[in-house]
Amino acid sequence: MSFDWATFALQLVNVLILLALLRHFLFRPVAAIIARRQAESAAAVEAATRARAEAEAAQAAARAEAEASATARQALLDKAQAEAAKARVDLLEQARAEAAQIIAEGRTALASEAAASARAQTRAACDLALAIVTRALSAQPDGLDGYAARLAQAITAMDPVERAALLAAPNLRIVLPHEPSDAERGTVSAALAPLGIDAPLVADPSLVAGIELQSDSGAVLNSLRHDIQTIAEALDDGRQTR
Amino acid sequence: METPFASAPAFALGPLVVSWTVVTTWGVMAALTLAAWLVTRRMDSAAPGRAQAVLELLVGTLESEIRATIPGDPARFRALIGTLLVFVLAANWSSLVPGVEPPTAHLETDAALAALVFAAGIYWGIRSQGLGGWLASFARPSWVMIPLNLVEQVTRHFSLMVRLFGNVLSGVFVIGIVLSLAGLLVPIPLMALDLLTGAVQAYIFATLALVFIGSAVTGESGEPPDNPDSSSDTRESA
Repeated sequence: MSFDWATFALQLVNVLILLALLRHFLFRPVAAIIARRQAESAAAVEAATRARAEAEAAQAAARAEAEASATARQALLDKAQAEAAKARVDLLEQARAEAAQIIAEGRTALASEAAASARAQTRAACDLALAIVTRALSAQPDGLDGYAARLAQAITAMDPVERAALLAAPNLRIVLPHEPSDAERGTVSAALAPLGIDAPLVADPSLVAGIELQSDSGAVLNSLRHDIQTIAEALDDGRQTR
Repeated sequence: METPFASAPAFALGPLVVSWTVVTTWGVMAALTLAAWLVTRRMDSAAPGRAQAVLELLVGTLESEIRATIPGDPARFRALIGTLLVFVLAANWSSLVPGVEPPTAHLETDAALAALVFAAGIYWGIRSQGLGGWLASFARPSWVMIPLNLVEQVTRHFSLMVRLFGNVLSGVFVIGIVLSLAGLLVPIPLMALDLLTGAVQAYIFATLALVFIGSAVTGESGEPPDNPDSSSDTRESA
């Protein structure tokens, strides 16, 4: 067996050269790329950690903001409810005041209308009274003679049976609005004597004017009071009919 | 008489005779350098290709092995151990090329590799422990052990050389004998076995080189340390 020292030396040099070559072309680049990837991974992890921290901070901020918003919302709700309650009370008070004012105005208007109505009624009553009196007075005869003649005419126009019953009834009397004088007695007797009537003369101021023949079975009404009553009833019936 | 252990001369440069072993080594060196350059010229940290991924796996595994054996920054020994691994593997597998004898089948190549490991052990031993500390490591556990430790320093590197030489040369012999006796296709299973043997021998050589250098660095007997981490971090500049 031989050993070639030249080959040994050349191989030793070759291995050293190969060591330098592979160190330059293989191990350093590969180690560098591994280190770079590790650095990038570390940077990515750090960025992710930072992003996560930022996200957590943002989440916390959002949560705090949401809580603040909820608090502000509750405060606004409370304030709105308080304002609504106050507005409700104010509106109620205002409504009550307006209602009271309306009632007062209504009462005033009602009182005014009542007064006006009362005045109108009074005026109408006056007019009515004036009309009644005017009509009644226009239908009255002149003096006691006229009343006596109209009484005699009315008695004559009565049904004979009714007239006989009237005249035959007890307590037959001739009623005048005042105590008659002798002249007036004579006038009345002269007007009724032809009819066979001889009754005492009685004074009744409520007749106002006229002469009436009265007994317990009836009466022949011939007075201003009766005419006024008749006219008033007629007017009243006409007004109700309208 | 021609011996099968001798290297056939390829050419001569004056008095220097260059053998085919050296020429084959140059070819292996050129192939490895070219392949390394082709793969590493367009590397991307974001989307590595298959070849880049294989190289990163190789370098990462290598650094893990170094870190598990020697405390400190593994970058100090990455190029040396990696070159030994890659070169021995490529040299062993060069036998697949017809007409090529693997350089590791010749004693001069294995001796050069073992001498490099031996020199590296001395260099890193003195650098890490100091000259006194490195010399004192031969007196452990007792000064009586100095002769034995000195002999061990030589014999373990000699065994490193002979182990690689014997395994690779035996594979070459077996394939050559079977090829001469049986024919063209019969040695194929043996060649496949030779591939496995070459890979195992490359791993063993690199691992033993790492252990020997590690023992020189730590001043111990060569057992892997329990704590692979260390305070020293002299990372090699990339």
